[in-house]
Amino acid sequence: MSVKLTSISNGVDGMFIENDRFNTTLISFNFYLPFLKESVANNALLPFVLTTCSEKYPDFSKLNYKLSKLYGARLEASCEKTGDFQLLKVSVSVINDFFAIDPENLVDEACSLLLSLVFEPKVINNAFCHEDLNREKRKAIEHIRSEISEKRIYAKNRLIEEMYKNDNYGVPKCGTEMDVNAITGESLYKAWVNMLKSAYTRVQVVSSVMPSGLFEQIRDKFSLLDRENITDCSKTLPTKPASKVNTITEKMEVAQGKLVMGFSSEVYGNSDSAIPLMVMTDIFGGGPYSRLFSNVREKMSLCYYCSASSVRAKGLLTVDSGVEAQNFEKAEKEILNQLDIVKKGEFSDFEFESSIKSLKDSLNTYNDSQASIDAWYSLRAFDKDVLSPEALADKLDFISRDDIVNTAKGVKLHTVYKLMPNKVQERK
Amino acid sequence: MEKIRYENPIGESYIKAVLPSGLSVYIMEKPRYSSAYAVFGTKYGSIDTMFSKNGEEMITVPEGIAHFLEHKLFESEDGDAFTRYAQTGGYANAFTSFDRTCYLFSCSDRFYDNLEILLDFVQHPYFTEETVAKEQGIIGQEIRMYDDSPSWRVMFNMLDCMYHNHPVKIDIAGTVDSIAKIDAKLLYDCYDTFYNPSNMFICVVGNVDSEKVLKQIEASIIDKPPVTIERGEFSEPQGVVSNYVEQSLEVAMPMFCYGYKQKIGSPNRRLKSKVCASLLLELICGEASPLYARLIREGLINDEFGTEYFTGHGYAAVIFEGESTNPKRVAEEISKEIERIRVEGIDKKLLSAVRCGMYGDAIRRFNSVEGLAMQLIECAMTDSDLFEELKLLRSVTAEDVYKRLDLFDADNAVLSVIKPKTEEKTNGL
Repeated sequence: MSVKLTSISNGVDGMFIENDRFNTTLISFNFYLPFLKESVANNALLPFVLTTCSEKYPDFSKLNYKLSKLYGARLEASCEKTGDFQLLKVSVSVINDFFAIDPENLVDEACSLLLSLVFEPKVINNAFCHEDLNREKRKAIEHIRSEISEKRIYAKNRLIEEMYKNDNYGVPKCGTEMDVNAITGESLYKAWVNMLKSAYTRVQVVSSVMPSGLFEQIRDKFSLLDRENITDCSKTLPTKPASKVNTITEKMEVAQGKLVMGFSSEVYGNSDSAIPLMVMTDIFGGGPYSRLFSNVREKMSLCYYCSASSVRAKGLLTVDSGVEAQNFEKAEKEILNQLDIVKKGEFSDFEFESSIKSLKDSLNTYNDSQASIDAWYSLRAFDKDVLSPEALADKLDFISRDDIVNTAKGVKLHTVYKLMPNKVQERK
Repeated sequence: MEKIRYENPIGESYIKAVLPSGLSVYIMEKPRYSSAYAVFGTKYGSIDTMFSKNGEEMITVPEGIAHFLEHKLFESEDGDAFTRYAQTGGYANAFTSFDRTCYLFSCSDRFYDNLEILLDFVQHPYFTEETVAKEQGIIGQEIRMYDDSPSWRVMFNMLDCMYHNHPVKIDIAGTVDSIAKIDAKLLYDCYDTFYNPSNMFICVVGNVDSEKVLKQIEASIIDKPPVTIERGEFSEPQGVVSNYVEQSLEVAMPMFCYGYKQKIGSPNRRLKSKVCASLLLELICGEASPLYARLIREGLINDEFGTEYFTGHGYAAVIFEGESTNPKRVAEEISKEIERIRVEGIDKKLLSAVRCGMYGDAIRRFNSVEGLAMQLIECAMTDSDLFEELKLLRSVTAEDVYKRLDLFDADNAVLSVIKPKTEEKTNGL
């Protein structure tokens, strides 16, 4: 297994991740743009419009028919917030030629399809057509609205919104309903041109064999464009500690309340120095050996779930839990108490070692999933060095208890979001 | 010990062994992978609420007890299994569904140590009144969480309307009231019946040595006399309880589950009928179908739309689910499309495309160690061969697929809808 990074064009890199385990080949285009309130929604809609039709496949039924004929080739579109940047991903995965019932060039065909979707969308007079735009806008708005259906996700997103109220980072990753409504065929076209001209771009291939000529074809496509003002993705602003803890309480007719807490961390960024935050978060609220699981859930039976996660680039740590209304206070107090225990270094060697072992074990399984490998490298595109999951696992051996304590000491409560049941529901 | 090796032309193979105790073991080696995945399961799930062991008296147990037992089995007198897994770094979990309970782990290191933990804790129950009481609090919270989950509620509301008596209509975790009736003795009764090797299976996939795995399993399985389990018969009428149900929850978009209850002669379905049903569902409303295009164009469905052939011991239904501003219209359109296909026949060109697509999906499934373990569980549950699907996908005919239209009887259809509490939220799209 090897990873090879090559420069394709100005601000466009190609990465071939050689892996012979899979029956499929995965190719992804990853576009990185600054995450700004004014452009988030237009940018976020792009991958979805691009993967439903194109000049060659003007109707998505024709496109879906083509995908079926390519043995169920899968097109995926996504937008992610990664630090202060927006990652737009468009990918295709297809079974390797060997597996076709009759001889076919499935991988080459899938590559051509992907290139045509990204570079030759269905555009008339410098605007995306209304039918396609309205369909994807409707789906995007429905997606934004349906977020409220899953309270755990909803509550966590509300915390981020509140915590970064005056900051682009607080904007939802696909924008707000109002932003999506304002998208026009022209504004989306401009966003597409801007993406091709100025986004830092990473094309990733995960396969046993590099599809021949793919990077050259991509170079030809980009050579027709004036690439300028390429996104500099090297810096993300860390989370500033709050001068006063902000608590927001909202009520809803739900059976179970949600308690979500956001913390700032003094350890952050894309270098090795942020690795202890990952381990500290895990000891605090990761696996079943963690402080939160074994105390708040198991010993005190306060909730079904209570776990911590962190965003390394931002220096952000969150705890989320599902709690009964009468237990909010107790749970909040206990979560902070467990954090204090970590700060004082009063966690056991068992907890520390279990965390390292578990994180290492899970890092060493990344290469068994094509989608995970693709996500791993695309979310680490700004790291100084290309680091494989196994290489990170090896680095964990050098993390000490002191690193954990020092990291925990810099973790400060910033915002608390409570979603409270507004009446006791009848039990079925 | 009986041992069979199954192979297929794409270069994959696995072995199935049946130990003298009756335990079935499935092992698939994937030497190029870093990780391995193992499952120890029992054919015991939420629907097994009435049963008798070895011809003894039929007993009825509280709803949700299989799931409760799953939680409790992780505990032993000297600590819990999670603590033991923490020492190896393996990831452990378990799940209970309608007809099975499975304990699993995945790891990239120390596989045989993890397997030892799995084999040990699943075979050594330890229930006390005190630990049972503690679990009632945690599971109570889990049940409350699912009460707020619209995707969970929309499905169970549908099953509740579809089935008169079959326990598939009961929530897997039971209710706060039903789990309050569980005690240590009842847990032991269930354990002694269903956690007998003759009713259990082990599936292992990944970077392992199958001979070594088999030896370790053979050495660790506690010999118990096989049990005869008789499952309670639930006389289930062919019709449904009601064709429509709705509930209001805090959602912004209405959600729906539209299912056709299948008339069933024998309790279990054959693989061929499942493959044909899946192909038919693709023809009716798969992404390349004309109906899917129309529903999307008219703004009636979004990417959440999906289908399932839902089947297990004594129940079977075809389910369409998703979000829609107008679930009733979606159900009508689906039913019209079914009738159109009944009259006009199967579109052979589309069938060839969806057959290709499903064949590719089946090839793709060999990528995932976890996915393969889940498929082997299915093989253990239904006594089928993992490679059969690929063969069937090449051999079934348009006529075979057409015959599966018998699944759709409009009188036995149920539409379940979760409505937003405030209707205004869905306007203005």
